[in-house]
Amino acid sequence: MTTARPTVVWERSLWDRLKMPIFYALLIAWTVLAIMPYWLTIVFSFMPKTAIFDPPRLWPKPFTLENYRVVLTAFDEFPLWLRNSFLFALAATVLRVFFSALAGYAFARMRFPGRGVLFSLILGSMMVPFVVTVVPLYWMAVKWFHIYDTLWGLIIVWTSGSFSFGVFMMTQFFKQIPRDLEEAAFIDGASWFTLFFRVVLPLARPALLALAIFSFQGSWNDFFLTLIMMQSPENFTLPLGLAMFRFQYYAIYSNVLAGSIFNSLPIIIIFFIFQRYFVEGIAYTGLKGV
Amino acid sequence: MRRFKWFPIITALLILSIVSAACATPTPEVKVVKETVVVTKEVEKVVTKEVEKVVTKEVEKVVTKEVEKVVTKEVEKPRTEVRLSGWTASPEEENLLRALLYECSLQNPDILVKYEPIPSDYWAKIKTMVGSGTEPDIYYMDIFQFPFFATQGVLQPIDDYMAKEGVSRDEFLDTLINAFTWEGKTYGIPKDFNTLGLFYNKDLFDQAGVDYPTNDWTWDDLKAAAQKITDATGVAGFSVPPDPGRFPIFVFQNGGQIMNDDFTDTLLDSPEAIEAGKFYTGARAEGWAIIPQDVGVGWQGEAFGKGDVAMVLEGGWMVPYLTNQFPDRNYSAVHPPAGPKGEGNLVFTVAYVISKNSKNPEAAFKTIACLTSEESQVKVLTSGFALPSRKALQSHEYLQNNPVANAIFTGAEFATPFMWGLKGETVNQAMAQALERVYLEGMSVEESFKQAAEEIRAALKE
Amino acid sequence: MTYTWRRKLADWLTAYVFILPVLLGWGIFVVVALVMSLYFSFTSFNLLKPPQWIGPVNYARVLQHPDFFRYAVPNTLKYSAVVVPAQTVLSLIFAFALDQKIRARDFFRTAFYLPSVTSSVVIGIIFVWLFSPKGVINQLLGLDVNWLYNVKTALPTIMMVNIWSTTGTMMLIFLAGLQDIPSELYEAAAIDGASRPQMFRYITIPLLRPVIFFVVTLGIIGTFQVFDQIYIMTKGGPLKATTTIVYLIYFWAFGDVTPDMGRASAAAFILAVAIFVVTMVQRRFLEREEV
Repeated sequence: MTTARPTVVWERSLWDRLKMPIFYALLIAWTVLAIMPYWLTIVFSFMPKTAIFDPPRLWPKPFTLENYRVVLTAFDEFPLWLRNSFLFALAATVLRVFFSALAGYAFARMRFPGRGVLFSLILGSMMVPFVVTVVPLYWMAVKWFHIYDTLWGLIIVWTSGSFSFGVFMMTQFFKQIPRDLEEAAFIDGASWFTLFFRVVLPLARPALLALAIFSFQGSWNDFFLTLIMMQSPENFTLPLGLAMFRFQYYAIYSNVLAGSIFNSLPIIIIFFIFQRYFVEGIAYTGLKGV
Repeated sequence: MRRFKWFPIITALLILSIVSAACATPTPEVKVVKETVVVTKEVEKVVTKEVEKVVTKEVEKVVTKEVEKVVTKEVEKPRTEVRLSGWTASPEEENLLRALLYECSLQNPDILVKYEPIPSDYWAKIKTMVGSGTEPDIYYMDIFQFPFFATQGVLQPIDDYMAKEGVSRDEFLDTLINAFTWEGKTYGIPKDFNTLGLFYNKDLFDQAGVDYPTNDWTWDDLKAAAQKITDATGVAGFSVPPDPGRFPIFVFQNGGQIMNDDFTDTLLDSPEAIEAGKFYTGARAEGWAIIPQDVGVGWQGEAFGKGDVAMVLEGGWMVPYLTNQFPDRNYSAVHPPAGPKGEGNLVFTVAYVISKNSKNPEAAFKTIACLTSEESQVKVLTSGFALPSRKALQSHEYLQNNPVANAIFTGAEFATPFMWGLKGETVNQAMAQALERVYLEGMSVEESFKQAAEEIRAALKE
Repeated sequence: MTYTWRRKLADWLTAYVFILPVLLGWGIFVVVALVMSLYFSFTSFNLLKPPQWIGPVNYARVLQHPDFFRYAVPNTLKYSAVVVPAQTVLSLIFAFALDQKIRARDFFRTAFYLPSVTSSVVIGIIFVWLFSPKGVINQLLGLDVNWLYNVKTALPTIMMVNIWSTTGTMMLIFLAGLQDIPSELYEAAAIDGASRPQMFRYITIPLLRPVIFFVVTLGIIGTFQVFDQIYIMTKGGPLKATTTIVYLIYFWAFGDVTPDMGRASAAAFILAVAIFVVTMVQRRFLEREEV
């Protein structure tokens, strides 16, 4: 992961000298834009509920943990929701990333009858808005498969529904990887499985990582499908449980904000840990240690 | 494989984060959990212990005496399970419902109620469930949605069960019980209701030196007071949102209607409605009223709480909202002002209904009867979340001591149910846009309302 | 011949083994569900009662509905035409910037991704507040515009919010794409004396092409199906200025007292065909490769 000294030294042009300041200016500007709403959410989640309509401020004052206390303790089932969310997100991520990579590799590299049609169908199935498939999914879960109101049923349905995106993404990324490396191994007599596990997966690590992050976040935040698939309060996930703080006529925003911070925290932590595995690139700064 | 080194690290981190998250949850103030949910906890205990007993048939220590009696009966006859669904209100109301359910489990020991709240998109989910015959035995029914469920024949008529249990229609406010009646049959027992009241900010009235509103006010009084307040304080006197849940009462007060009696046509382009529209939208044009969007909010309740408007027409939900968000607001409420043709109001009401697919309609009705009994309704009333549907409670001391609740409760007398038939939401949208066209594009009320009426007619014809 | 034929068959079988798990899950829970809703689109279906076959009437009812061509289609097209190029270009630039050896890169990447993590309800609350008449945006710009309650500015405001919230996701995809390009290629090119603009032009962009196709397709699907933020921030208003196709579909499916799932499904398939056509057209430009 460490970067060795560049083996090739570029000529320093005007662009070289201006490049970094421009990058930093751009990065800082967008960072402010990106962080501000989130920061304001944090600030107001630590303020009393009566202060929610105050002008925005950068630091919570008066400071209180009350909103978090309410969110964490208002409903008995809270620990269950948290557990369900983690199980759901973990299982969905692992299943989706692995099987999507497997299928994506076949679509990107192998020749088999029906490949073009299948790929177009998979791509096309993403184009129908989800809202009209809700009723069929409910019927199937309740009447045919009896997986309604179960966590593993939710995992299966969510993962299956999200394969289209995963396969499409992995196919495009595998297409991007030059074939030379595989061809070398192929000539050595390696099987498709060896190629996939030993050569291609390590090369596609950043893409797998990105898909894993999307999958974790997507399943962790999923709302509508979970709402349709779950019935008993003890089977709810966190977003569903937190929706109980929005009422028919109004919402106590402080609680909603605290809930959303609590809900997004695991994703941010996971993202922060995992993004380190995107090693720095090479295009401008020099060459990666070989 | 060197390249795979990160994998165990990630797995370890994931597990670590799960563990830490799971541990972190209860740490903040565990004591309070126990305080707030005592009732629910008890319910769970009772349920599980009894179930054990049914199976093992051995005597065990029980939580209370009443339950002990229950258990002896239990052994002979297993409990009937009844499912109950509703949308979710505040955590406080959730706990109130759970407490009532607990009380009812003592009263009806042979019935086990399974409560399954639907936290969002209630109608999408309940309609999907009904379509596949998997809906709960008992569910919430809003009057706005009732005609659709009634005409599709998916609800259980409850008159026979009422007779059996000795529950009479006369015990409930006429407007409410009649609203849930279709083709001579009763389909639901109203659980609570709301009407609109004229909420006013006392401080702004004092500041402008204007007398507080009374139940006898008319449109002219409203206009005069709002104008004075606007002039004296710079804060708008009144609010006229493009909201189909507020505007119609002006049509009623002007002797008009939104829909005809059998909901096959709209009367939005009748002279009565157009005249009401002119008064309503004119208020903003003349400068004594605002729409909430003028002050950057989507709901006038928020504008009222912030002190950006002196009077609004809102329902009883304002009380917990203001208590929570704007505890310093000094306010009260009276009946909406009367128009040229007298009083008029909207009533928003929700009933418990029983599914036609229910396998245990009798047990379901027993549960409803208990949830809407006078005892239960007193608890609802005194908790301050909702107004009870029983006539007997109109003289309850809580109402005598709470002018706001009293104004909302007695408003039912002149009220029309908030319900526009099978295409109700289309009517709502057309009405809102009719007002918006006047506000945003300066279209004349006649033209705008005519356009809305045509949109509604086109939708009804489909 | 027999050997290659056998080898070919073995390859086919391997390929099917690779796609089998996906095919099972997708085939059952996506394809079957889609076939059922395709069936609904030819029926009169109010959710409570079983669907009744009425033929292709619903398709005509969608196309003839006054709101469809007057508001939903133009609004959706405008939305897509602005948001897709903006988020693609911005996220590509940011991905390049964050792929550099810069200070505090971890922090920047996480910060850039934050909008994608923030829940859409909270985004709604925050932006309604930022864009309110007395809000921060007006104070900064010295304006007095009711951004979300003005027929002219409501849709552009939601476009901005969407660009803001999706750029992080797209950035992450591009970042992964840039990283998937083996460094050996750049090394070889550098030894051959290629300049960096040349390397960008002849290595990065061609190799990134499948990923660009992916991001643009994703953008088209996402913008053609925009719903969440509109539902939370403007409810399709004011005066239908932000009514989009999926907003109409949602209203027909679940919005009114009497659901009209038949028409909603028909509209959904009309939309899917439109997205498919647009995607295939841009594929011709972006993905010309032999596989």
